Amino acid sequence: MKKRFPYFKIAIHGLIILYVVFLLFPLVWVLASSFKPTPEIYSGSPTILPRHITLEHYLSVINGQLLFRSMWNSIIVGIMSTILVVLVAVPSAYAMVRYKSFINNAILGWILVSQIFPVILVMIPLYIVLRYIGLTDSLTGLTLIYIVWSLPFVLWMMHGYVKSIPFELEEAAVLDGASRTQVIFKVILPLLLPAIGACALFSFISAWNEFFFAFVLMKSPTLATLQVELARYTGMEGQARTGPLAAASIIATIPSIILFIIMRKWLTTGLVAGALKG
Amino acid sequence: MKRIFYTILFLGVAAITVLWFTYKHENPKNQPLRFVSLAWQEATIATNKSIVAEWNNAHPDLKVEYIQGTWNAAHDYLITAFETGDVPDIFHYESSVIIDYAMRGYLRDLSPYISSEMKNDILDVAWATVTRPNGEVEGIPFLIESLVVIYNKSLFREAGITPPDINHPWTWDDLREAAKKLTKDIDKDGVIDQYGVGIGLRNSANIIMNTSISFGGSFFRKEGNSFVVKVQDEEKKLLQTIMDMIYKDKTVAPSSIGETGAGMIPGFFSNKYAMLVGIGAWGRQQIVEYAPKKFTWGVMPPLKAKTQIYGASTQTLSIPKESKRANDAMKFIDFMLNTNNMGLIALNDWMIPTRKSCLSMPEFQNSIGGWDITCSAVSTLGVGSWLGAPGYVEWKSRVANPVLQELFAGRMTVDEAAKRIEHESNIVLSRYKKRGEVW
Repeated sequence: MKKRFPYFKIAIHGLIILYVVFLLFPLVWVLASSFKPTPEIYSGSPTILPRHITLEHYLSVINGQLLFRSMWNSIIVGIMSTILVVLVAVPSAYAMVRYKSFINNAILGWILVSQIFPVILVMIPLYIVLRYIGLTDSLTGLTLIYIVWSLPFVLWMMHGYVKSIPFELEEAAVLDGASRTQVIFKVILPLLLPAIGACALFSFISAWNEFFFAFVLMKSPTLATLQVELARYTGMEGQARTGPLAAASIIATIPSIILFIIMRKWLTTGLVAGALKG
Repeated sequence: MKRIFYTILFLGVAAITVLWFTYKHENPKNQPLRFVSLAWQEATIATNKSIVAEWNNAHPDLKVEYIQGTWNAAHDYLITAFETGDVPDIFHYESSVIIDYAMRGYLRDLSPYISSEMKNDILDVAWATVTRPNGEVEGIPFLIESLVVIYNKSLFREAGITPPDINHPWTWDDLREAAKKLTKDIDKDGVIDQYGVGIGLRNSANIIMNTSISFGGSFFRKEGNSFVVKVQDEEKKLLQTIMDMIYKDKTVAPSSIGETGAGMIPGFFSNKYAMLVGIGAWGRQQIVEYAPKKFTWGVMPPLKAKTQIYGASTQTLSIPKESKRANDAMKFIDFMLNTNNMGLIALNDWMIPTRKSCLSMPEFQNSIGGWDITCSAVSTLGVGSWLGAPGYVEWKSRVANPVLQELFAGRMTVDEAAKRIEHESNIVLSRYKKRGEVW
């Protein structure tokens, strides 16, 4: 049989390559800018690759502001909120799926409704509550905010994943003599691991990228998170210290890239698992 | 099973333990004064920090904590602070915004705290940007934000154009003539390679408002106790002049329409624009630091229309009403803004200091960096009639900037823009009128 020229495949691959270039271009631009001397960044005839390579922006960032301290704060807040969100979301989702009651739908509805409130609307009441219990200007308070902020969506995601696990698996385990605890830890949890990975990554990235709560709640310079520190490289009327900002952004991206590489497999598997209906 | 259970238990306990230890246990007494600064240039941050360090060394019992803010989110940060009462003791911002805060009752009247030395040394025009009609002072102005025209000396020399000096300023007609000579299709391919003028018109309300005074306009007029916006012949003349330069003379680069003042600077370096019109005096800092070697440039005195008077706004230090330590905060402000420190801040930020004693320092009379001409412009600065108009900040972002963007993009005529500005202004301002805020 005569093999047809794969026009369709070539077109699809071409589009994918274009899309990847579109996605990578800003990153390449930032990376290149971080190595360009300042006059070259402001040159009227810009080039993608640096004509002269310099480390001055990296040195300025490392010596200047509290970048590594802020990165550490972001890591602490991100990891703590992720662990606690997952610890709360997994059993809650399981209970909501397996123990059906009339309030389940109400809870799910409320989760969806809670997502429509803009940050600025809840900021002031939230701040007052946190201040009352002495949790403003502390990483503990910020972690609690991130837990509350990402828990509804993670719970929603986890609900879908748990629902996709056939109940027959649990019945089979019970018939084989497993207790309820054994069913949960030996049957359900291993199946949920990819989903937990996806939810953990979502929760961590939400905390890692969040700016407004961190900016308003954290007063002490040593408690600033990474996004707040990065914003300090920008000035009025669209001005920015472009070189140091690019260098700081590249440094800031490294932990999330490492985490993504580690959890990539979990993330993709988890997303697919959540999409299937049991 | 046990392993998974203990892993989960361990993670949970570990997370809670870490959170407990990161909880800030501190005694509310002996807290330092909190100073939120919006300085963002490396040199200015260093100057601010060294001033704070010097103060802290001299006043171990009254320390100041330097908090680095950011211009982009300062408004939300401060509103949250005012509404919750958890305020910084001193904050840095600009006059047009603190007026709004003052009308909402967020700020402390500083008039009883100001020393006569400071009162007499700071320029009257600077005080006018922060003083209410009843005499209350809402902030200490320390830097003047003014608009300048910067030109490329080599291109002027090539075109045989003599730049204006302080005693012989250009009119807008002179500018247009020079711009025509400087606009060139160098490689004769039918595309203009060098424009006479670049103006950052992306958010042009500031430029238009401050420049309108020199045309005899002001957009805002007081009727009884409230403000109305009227775009009359004077304002229209300014808008029409810019439109003619863009579309009739074709001497203003079309890229100006979507760019900020700072965004025009790379094109200025590559000779794409021979002049930058309406850029803030701070723009000189970027030109000094980033210009290619052998690039020569100068500053022009303000352009003359009906007059040479331009609107000014100032950067300020204020104390929130909720701050319990206004006396201490003012002591620090006195130190922070003494002649020497204000001079250092202004030099590093490339803006005009508000103290007369600073302006007489040799550094501010130097022709290098255009300090002499920039600072001489203080005699041509005035205060717009919009000062104290409730809702002015929102008006700029919701009405003026979008309509002016459409106008300069050629989507409407000056008359149509004038009608839209008047109509939409009344919608915004009437809301503020109902709130009953008075300057």
